[in-house]
Amino acid sequence: MRLDKIVKELGLEVLTERDIEKEVKGVYIGDLLSLVMANASENNLWITIQTHLNIIAVATLVGLSAILIAEGMEVEDETIKKANEVKIPILRSKLSAYELACRLYELGV
Amino acid sequence: MKELSLHILDLAENSLRAKATKININIFEDTEKDLLIIELEDNGIGMAEDLLRKVENPFVTSRTTRKVGLGIPLMKAAALRCEGDFKISSEIGKGTRVISIFKHSHIDRAPIGDIGQTIISLINANENVEIVYRHSYNGNCFVFDTREIKKILGNVSINEADIMLWIKDYINENVKNLYRNSQ
Repeated sequence: MRLDKIVKELGLEVLTERDIEKEVKGVYIGDLLSLVMANASENNLWITIQTHLNIIAVATLVGLSAILIAEGMEVEDETIKKANEVKIPILRSKLSAYELACRLYELGV
Repeated sequence: MKELSLHILDLAENSLRAKATKININIFEDTEKDLLIIELEDNGIGMAEDLLRKVENPFVTSRTTRKVGLGIPLMKAAALRCEGDFKISSEIGKGTRVISIFKHSHIDRAPIGDIGQTIISLINANENVEIVYRHSYNGNCFVFDTREIKKILGNVSINEADIMLWIKDYINENVKNLYRNSQ
């Protein structure tokens, strides 16, 4: 499914430059970066509450489509800056990872 | 990572890539002071000041196969998450020292994990590297030194499967005894 459609349907906040015309294939949820590295798949949308610069490194390594920050967590400027540089969108929602997963499931992702 | 032993393995692999011939791994636990300190020291090629300053950034790596290196950033994040601290120092031609400090009782502190497995993975990666593992828990201490094992083994190679399995069990058993004897 298209990322811009997901952003619109779920009312997500886009923290990076609006580079969201891309395809999402499946979702991964996790906050332990090593597990995400091992288990997430390419073009996944990744839901996490981690916000450190390290998440961009993980997303680059795996080739994730975008990062969705749950629970309205504050994201460091350094993280957003690097995300813009490597063109990985960071999205944010006040919902929990579980609620986001349910909404994405209803959408058919 | 789920276990600190995996962070240790990651950092020690940096030491191997830096051509270290000796790696000291020190674990210091003091539940009275609520401290867990993990120290890695190697005699590898070391890093210059400018690389040292950047190395906590995941987008800095000496690897040429990919752009991202997460060994140091993840260990640092793990320590800071536990109200701890992280310090790295290095000198060209002398080696590198990495210290990670954790609040022992912090709810997000990962367990130390299978340290025996970490040590034999390192021996397996390079049997010529000498590893000294020191683990102290509330004053009780266990020391494992590959040079002592090699002395006993004589001409037998340290990375024979049976010996590796023995080393792994020997280390894990002794670490378990540290905890048991301190109760």
